[in-house]
Amino acid sequence: MATRVKDKKAAAEHWRVGLSDDQLKDILYKLKLCRYFDERMEALYRQGRLPGAIYSGRGQEGTHVGVVYPLHDDDSLFPTHRDLSAQLTKGLELRRVMAQFWGRIDGYTRGRDGNSHIGDWQGNRTWTVMSHLPIAYPVACGAALAYKRRGEPRVAMAICGDGATSNGRWHEALNVSAIFELPVVWVVNNNQYAYSAPNPLEFPVPTIAERAQAYRMPGVRVDGANVLDVYQAAGEAVDRARDGGGPTLIESVSLRWRGHAGHDPAKYVPKELLDDYMQNKDPVKRFEELLRSNGVVDDTTVKELDERIQREFEDGYEFAQNSPFPEPGDVTKGLWVEDGYWTSEPGRDGGTPT
Amino acid sequence: MATRTLEAGAAGHGAEPRGKRDDDGQATYLVAVAEGLWEEMERDERVFLLGEDIGVYGGAFKVTEGFIERFGPERVMDTPIVEETIVGMALGAAMEGFRPVAEFQYADFMSSGFDEITTALARYHYRSGVPAPVVLRAPSGGGVRASSFHSFNPEPWFAHSPGLKVMCPAFPTDAKGLIKSAIRDDNPCVFLEHKWIYRRVKEKVPEDPDFLIPIGKADMKRQGRDVTIVSYGMMVHHALDAAETLAQEGIDVEVIDLRSIVPLDTEAILASVAKTSRAVVLYESHRFLGVGAEVASVIAQEAFESLDAPVVRLAPPNVPVPFSPALEDAYLPQVTDIEDAVRKLSAW
Repeated sequence: MATRVKDKKAAAEHWRVGLSDDQLKDILYKLKLCRYFDERMEALYRQGRLPGAIYSGRGQEGTHVGVVYPLHDDDSLFPTHRDLSAQLTKGLELRRVMAQFWGRIDGYTRGRDGNSHIGDWQGNRTWTVMSHLPIAYPVACGAALAYKRRGEPRVAMAICGDGATSNGRWHEALNVSAIFELPVVWVVNNNQYAYSAPNPLEFPVPTIAERAQAYRMPGVRVDGANVLDVYQAAGEAVDRARDGGGPTLIESVSLRWRGHAGHDPAKYVPKELLDDYMQNKDPVKRFEELLRSNGVVDDTTVKELDERIQREFEDGYEFAQNSPFPEPGDVTKGLWVEDGYWTSEPGRDGGTPT
Repeated sequence: MATRTLEAGAAGHGAEPRGKRDDDGQATYLVAVAEGLWEEMERDERVFLLGEDIGVYGGAFKVTEGFIERFGPERVMDTPIVEETIVGMALGAAMEGFRPVAEFQYADFMSSGFDEITTALARYHYRSGVPAPVVLRAPSGGGVRASSFHSFNPEPWFAHSPGLKVMCPAFPTDAKGLIKSAIRDDNPCVFLEHKWIYRRVKEKVPEDPDFLIPIGKADMKRQGRDVTIVSYGMMVHHALDAAETLAQEGIDVEVIDLRSIVPLDTEAILASVAKTSRAVVLYESHRFLGVGAEVASVIAQEAFESLDAPVVRLAPPNVPVPFSPALEDAYLPQVTDIEDAVRKLSAW
């Protein structure tokens, strides 16, 4: 089985990779939504108006939107705390995501988790994120195993960062997925830093993608700045998995523009590197320019998109602020399935801050 | 009435064939667990097994001997040595509608899957509302000269991870009824079998495929009026032995077998102590912060007015399980230790 390690470039004549104008505009909308959400939430965090922590995925939207776009509704997604953009692309509602950030009852975890530990298995088939990495990689094997056993044409996709590839579970899961030929797509969002550790301190090989060879699966390295390159690579991997061809490893390279979390100024990232990525490899700006130059969008449509996103954010913010806290008396509910908490409407008398 | 035989050496470590019921319906604990698994696999096709060497080899202790021939390699799935992935994979399959039963070769090796058990599996439902009907089976406990890495009692770790039900049956009937209940339960369950009991204890075990033992219910294994011994697992058998000797001295011991650690049947414990006014808490996990520490605390707080004497804890010291028979016997509470503790308590 061939292992490909290369930087793919969208060929000029096939730049739209089979996507319609509406789909291209939808991708631009998602990229911009994720960027806007990330910027606004960080501002609220710095203003002291947001409880908990914040994990920015800025600069990596090309990876997040690109890998998830080929998934079907009933395919499952196992992301990390930095992959909220991937979850929004999969279909999570902004207003419920925001309610979760403020610890309210309408959040996806009913206030039982916060920050970016979001997920919506019943609705959008996304894993409720955990901090331990890559804790969901083995779980994705299990979902994929279920699809294979039942002969369902479904795929599990798991995302982690470059940092998590050093962990034993990453290797366990890749190994097991290859042995049992599971319909799974492994995505590594290589943003070049594991908290403060740069790639050379994380792995001795030149690329993460080439590690696929050790597990006898295709490995692809793509430029996360080009959302359509990511989309195309992910689409091939998803199709292969769906058709019984087993797992694929995708390494999508970008740079983490912000710190590990909101508290981290990330001074360990060289300024020239950051400037280069922000100025020349911004996946959102680059895609908008691509669509403008090909006449898919213009000033008017972009303005409409931006205004729509602002409206949705304001609506989500209002919704979150008006959503009540969970009732303190419910703290022990929902541990066991038989207590029925999760299959009934929760109490809404927890109040809101005055 | 259960009977006991001693098998040492290779058989104690599971190398011999599992065997089957006697003609008169007597089954070992090993056979009882296997029957429970088999019946649930026959009953519900969503149930499947995964683990190391459980297929052709039949499992480290031969619990799943013959299963692959009946159910095939997809439902009796041999995995590489990947404890984290065994647990994670069970969770993922459960989230998609299966009811996986994962086997650990020894409960000691559950530490190799610890994060997936305590972080992912245990907490998932509380955080997401998604049921995770997974059973983790593992042979636990000492007394078979298996040393530090094959004798551990990890039940306090998992009892302290909210979201897991934890069972430690002591008798074949309870083992069969509880493994079946665990498989039918919608929550993740840790089912700790005791390897000392596997081939030693035999009794007539119900054959009704819908025979179940409820999770979270203790059982009175011996009725008495003078002293209560609260215990579980191998120590229940030691307690029953001690009770026989003590009866000849005129001390009437009641033995409460917890069977489940989570949920803990505090009602049964308190009812017995209310009757006897004296309690020994006997357990095989480390005395320091072990299962019995919680039991003793419940008795002290809830039954203070019934007590005629302090609650006594009898459990191993806070050291790893040692190998040398001299040391392991010093480590584990012995029948004579139990007798002494009860005599002292009776003298109060």
